[in-house]
Amino acid sequence: MDERMVMGRYVAAQSWVHQLDPRAKLTAMVLFLIAVICADYSLELAVITAFSLVILMTSGIPLRRYGRASKPLWPLMAFMFLFYVLFEHNGDVWLSIGSFTVTSEGVLLGLYAVWRMLLLVCFTSILTFTTTPIELNLGLEAVLKPLKLIGVSPQQWTMMITIALRFIPTIFEEANKILKAQASRGADYEDLKLKEKGKLVVTLLVPVTVGAFRRAEELVMAMESRGYVLDAKRTSLRYLTWQGTDTLFILLFIVLTAGMIIL
Amino acid sequence: MIRLENIHFQYPKREALFSDLKLHVPRGQWVSIVGPNGSGKSTLVKLVNGLLSPDSGTIHIDGTLLDGESVSDIRRRTGYLFQNPDNQFIATTVRDDIAFGMENRCVPRADMKQRIDAIAEQLGISEWLNRHPASLSGGQKQRVAIAGLLVLNPEIMIWDEATSMLDERSKQDMLLRLRHLHKNQGLTILSVTHDAEEILASDRAVVIRNGVIAADMSPIQLFEDRNLAWECRLQPPFSLALSLELREKGMDIGLHHHEEELMRALWPSLHVNK
Ligand SMILES: Nc1ncnc2c1ncn2[C@@H]1O[C@H](COP(=O)(O)OP(=O)(O)OP(=O)(O)O)[C@@H](O)[C@H]1O
Ligand SMILES: [Mg+2]
Repeated sequence: MDERMVMGRYVAAQSWVHQLDPRAKLTAMVLFLIAVICADYSLELAVITAFSLVILMTSGIPLRRYGRASKPLWPLMAFMFLFYVLFEHNGDVWLSIGSFTVTSEGVLLGLYAVWRMLLLVCFTSILTFTTTPIELNLGLEAVLKPLKLIGVSPQQWTMMITIALRFIPTIFEEANKILKAQASRGADYEDLKLKEKGKLVVTLLVPVTVGAFRRAEELVMAMESRGYVLDAKRTSLRYLTWQGTDTLFILLFIVLTAGMIIL
Repeated sequence: MIRLENIHFQYPKREALFSDLKLHVPRGQWVSIVGPNGSGKSTLVKLVNGLLSPDSGTIHIDGTLLDGESVSDIRRRTGYLFQNPDNQFIATTVRDDIAFGMENRCVPRADMKQRIDAIAEQLGISEWLNRHPASLSGGQKQRVAIAGLLVLNPEIMIWDEATSMLDERSKQDMLLRLRHLHKNQGLTILSVTHDAEEILASDRAVVIRNGVIAADMSPIQLFEDRNLAWECRLQPPFSLALSLELREKGMDIGLHHHEEELMRALWPSLHVNK
C-alpha cells in the first residue's frame, strides 16, 4: 500500500508550522483568501508573496514540493491568462491582428490572476502538507461548530470526511486488485489504444462503485455494532491545544488582511 | 442469557432463511456455531446483535427485548467481530480505531490512552498503532479488530470467523485469552468457526444447515458423528481422530483432543516415571 495515498498530502517534518493548531491554520487560510482577493496592486501582491515565502521557507518542506503541487493547475492558469489578454481592451494597445488586440491592461490583469492563483495554491498546500488528516478533521469540526446554530451537524460532516479518508486507500486497492485479476486473465494494458483504455476504465468503474456501495452498507453495520449512535454524546481520543503562537499567527493574518482591505 | 424465539427471517427477494428458529444460550456459555458455507451462521449472529431484524419472533438479551429502543444499549455490552476485518475499521489509524468503541461509550481520554497502550502491548500490536488499517495484512487486521473489542470488556462476545486469517501462534494466543476471559469473567461467547480446536475449547456446538439448527450437542459429540462433522467441513485434530479410530477398532481409551492426554492414556507408565 502506498503510504502517500494513506496519509493524504501530509509531509512529516519538525517545523513551527507543523506545530500550529489546525484551527489557527484553517482560520488563517480564510483570512489569506480575503487578503488575496482584496489585493489589487502589484505592491500589495508583492507584500503577500513575501509574507507567504517566509512561511513556505520555514515550513521544513522543500520549495520544490510546493511547485509540484501547483502543477495540475497550470493549464487553468494559462487559460485565465489568455482570457484576460484576449478580452480586456483597456490600456495601451501593444498588438493588434484583425479583431484581436492585446493591451497592457489585459496582460497585467492576466498576470495578476495567475499570481493570485499561485498564492492560493501554495497556501492551501501549506495547510495540507503540514497537517495530518486527523488533525485537519478535528480542526474542521471545531471551525464548523457554529453551523450547529443553523441545524447542520458538524459531527456528521467530520465523520463523513473520516470515512472518506478511511476508504480512499481501500477503494484504490480494490481497483488495483481488479486490474491485476483482468491482467492475469490476459488483458494487457500497455498495448491498448486510448479508446480501448477508456473502455477498460469503465469496466473497472462498475465493480469498484458496486463494491463501494456494498462497503458503505457494511460500514454502517460496523459503526453501529461498535456503539456509534448519530449525534449522540461521545468522547474523543484526539484533542487540540491552542498556544500563544497560534494567537500570534492569526494576529499576523488579521493585520495583513486588514492592510489589504484598507489600502 | 440470549433467547431467540420463533425467529422468521428472509433477505429481500429471497426465500425464507430462518423459519421458526429457536436458540437459548445461558449466561457464561461458550457456543460454537458451525455449518457449511451459506447456511445462515453470519445472519444468525447479526440478528443477535440487532444488525438485522427478524420479520417475526423475539430476541431477548438478559431479559431485555431487543428492539429499536434497547438496541444501542445492548450493543454497548456486546462485542461483535465481522467475518471480513476490512469491514470493521472506521478510523484512519490503528490507534484511533481501537479508540472508536471507547469514544462511543464516553470513556474519558486519559483512561482510553492507558487502555489502548495496555491492550496493544498484550496483543503485540504496539508497532502498528500509527499505521492506516488498510496497510495491514489480513491476520494483522484481525488482531487489531480483536484488540478494539477486548479493550471494551464486553459481557457478550460475538465472533464471526474472527481468527480465520491468524497464523497458528496468534490463534493459540487468542484462544488462550478467550478461555481465560470465559473462565474468570464469565464471558458469554457466540463464535462462528470452522476451527476444530476452537470448537473443542467451547461448551457447546450448534450446527446450522440451510437455516435450520440441525444439531445441538457437545463439541466431542459433533466430532464423534463423522458424517455430520464431514458435512460441516470439519476435520478433527489428530489426537481426537486417532482416539476415535482406536475406539472403532475396539480399543477404547476415551476421547482425547490433546496429544499429551492421548499419550498418557496410551502409555500411562511413561508419565508415572516423570
Ligand atoms: N445481504 C444479503 N442479501 C441477500 N442474501 C444474502 C445476504 N447475505 C447473505 N445472504 C444469503 O443468505 C444465506 C446465508 O448467508 P450467511 O452469510 O448467513 O451464511 P454463512 O453461514 O455465514 O456462510 P459462510 O460460511 O460463507 O460465512 C446465503 O444463501 C446467502 O447467499
Ligand atoms: Mg458467514
